[in-house]
Amino acid sequence: MLNSAPAATAPVLDVRNLALRFKDTPANIVDGISFSVREGETLCIVGESGCGKSVTALALMGLLPRSVARVTSGTAMFGGSDLLTLPQRAMADIRGNTISMIFQEPMTSLNPSYRIGEQIGEVVLRHKRVTRAQARQRALEMLDRVRIPAAASRLDDYPHELSGGMRQRVMIAMALANDPALLIADEPTTALDVTIQAQIVDLIEELQKETGTALIMITHDLGVVAEIADRVSVMYAGHIVEEGPVEAIFDDPQHPYTIGLMSSVPSIGPRSGRLATIGGLVPTIDRMPSGCRFSPRCPFVQADCLKAHAPLSTFGPEHRAACYFAPLETVFAEAAS
Amino acid sequence: MLSYIARRLVIAVPTLILVSVFVFVLQKLLPGDPALVLAGEERDPEVLEFIREKYRLNDPVIYQYFHWMKAMLQGDLGISLRTQQPVATLIADKLPVTIQLAIMAMVIAFAIGIPAGILSAVHKGTAVDYIANFIALSGLSIPNFWLGIMLILLVSVQLGWLPASGYESPFTDPVKSLQTMIMPGFVLGTALAATLMRHTRSAMLGVMKADYIRTARAKGVLENAVIIKHAFRNALLPIVTLSALLFGELLAGAVLTEQIFTIPGFGKLIVDAVFTRDYAVVQGIVMCTAAGFILMNLIADVLYFLLNPRMRSSL
Repeated sequence: MLNSAPAATAPVLDVRNLALRFKDTPANIVDGISFSVREGETLCIVGESGCGKSVTALALMGLLPRSVARVTSGTAMFGGSDLLTLPQRAMADIRGNTISMIFQEPMTSLNPSYRIGEQIGEVVLRHKRVTRAQARQRALEMLDRVRIPAAASRLDDYPHELSGGMRQRVMIAMALANDPALLIADEPTTALDVTIQAQIVDLIEELQKETGTALIMITHDLGVVAEIADRVSVMYAGHIVEEGPVEAIFDDPQHPYTIGLMSSVPSIGPRSGRLATIGGLVPTIDRMPSGCRFSPRCPFVQADCLKAHAPLSTFGPEHRAACYFAPLETVFAEAAS
Repeated sequence: MLSYIARRLVIAVPTLILVSVFVFVLQKLLPGDPALVLAGEERDPEVLEFIREKYRLNDPVIYQYFHWMKAMLQGDLGISLRTQQPVATLIADKLPVTIQLAIMAMVIAFAIGIPAGILSAVHKGTAVDYIANFIALSGLSIPNFWLGIMLILLVSVQLGWLPASGYESPFTDPVKSLQTMIMPGFVLGTALAATLMRHTRSAMLGVMKADYIRTARAKGVLENAVIIKHAFRNALLPIVTLSALLFGELLAGAVLTEQIFTIPGFGKLIVDAVFTRDYAVVQGIVMCTAAGFILMNLIADVLYFLLNPRMRSSL
């Protein structure tokens, strides 16, 4: 496993204390999160819709319009510079070149007016000193690499001539055309058929192994996480509530939210009663609870939880959770005694 | 593609027939006797009868209609009651003038309307947007005749930069031709520019929200290229359709503008023909305008197909 490489390798991207706020809202939508990802490593950011995953990705890409949201604190160090303070032009030179992104909606993410060969070639022409013919050659190569059959004949197809899965392959080809150091995939499989989802996840995994790019996969699909992640950051309402190696998160979750999330996954085997759910709803931005943002839904909530949210404390190698009462075994032990 | 055009042309036939019936019937319903107009001061019943006989005004209406249709299919639009010239010749004389004026107006409308529309969409809600909208609203609100007269006063009378009126064929004297066309073209063009600007703005606003615009930015494409190459290219469809229709309207005659700048175009021909009850000319002009309009519609559709890969492959 790649994450067993010495932790000494400098991270490709190191995000510290990132906070984002939507215009005219009383609380941060993303409230001081930190994470990093190393070369060849896959970090999955997991959480429910609206927890701030996608906004985080867009902010890192410099694609969050200032009229919508702004960064209120934090740094995101990439290749020696802070992505959050780089001027627009410098950010544009990075996008599609050293950091690429794939989106959730393959059906609408390609420009309907241009052939896919042109669209892949465009990102190469934009960042590399190549001729049109070389860019086209690179586009063909990339179509081959994302396993599009008869790539040469597909080069001149328009997006509407391709299925959703094919279009997502094209998006991946586009994203990897310049061998980026970091790939951010924002729920790349959510909009696809289940069978296609597995193919796309496999493809991303294989291509990552081939190229050694760092990957941040944003998803709410724990199946995807189990398959692809080296490390996982669990987000809830703008906080990272737990982070750690994928095995630790699945086998030994510490935060009550992570525990709830894990037990809400159906498993194969004899059915044992109802599928567990987490009671309540994710708080909206204008009704953020003070203290721990999970407290209104937490079965273990105590007075302390409402005062301030718990800092991340360590439970194992790289495994941290933000709960005063973790590990919960101690709570149960105390209750029993 | 060709079969599509052929199909559209066939569909155009019933439309044209309908237009011809309307034109003919409306003319017959109009009060006033063309024979009286033709006879002028003369009120001799024999002369009137001779004129009615000559122009078949005594025949049943249906018969008159079919007679007119038959001649028209042979390219004969009749003889002007007033000038005694063939209507086809009159139209062939005046149409190029109006086409030239229409092209001039469209060029000016594009040059103003499209950049203004793009700018106001990209800078939505800012001063740029408000200024562009203010100018567009002014363009729509200022009457053509007033703008025309003011321009003549300022540019021709005060400054003496351009001729106040007249027309010169671009084939005999291109420079003079352009000089005489600039002001009327501008007067017509500004009004169209306003419409074009509003449509460009709304089309661009819709497109700028699309996911593929975000993709283009995620590829590092610079903002100007995002706007022109990725957004405007997709906003073009409604703009092209609108432009073809606007052009069709221009061909139907810019009556006021042509009067103010005394341009011997289609509009002036129509007005003169209506005032003198010159039936043949009015009918010819309306048919010609209708055909032109249908043609522009067809061109709009063809362009629509050429610009839209999705439609193209469905043919």
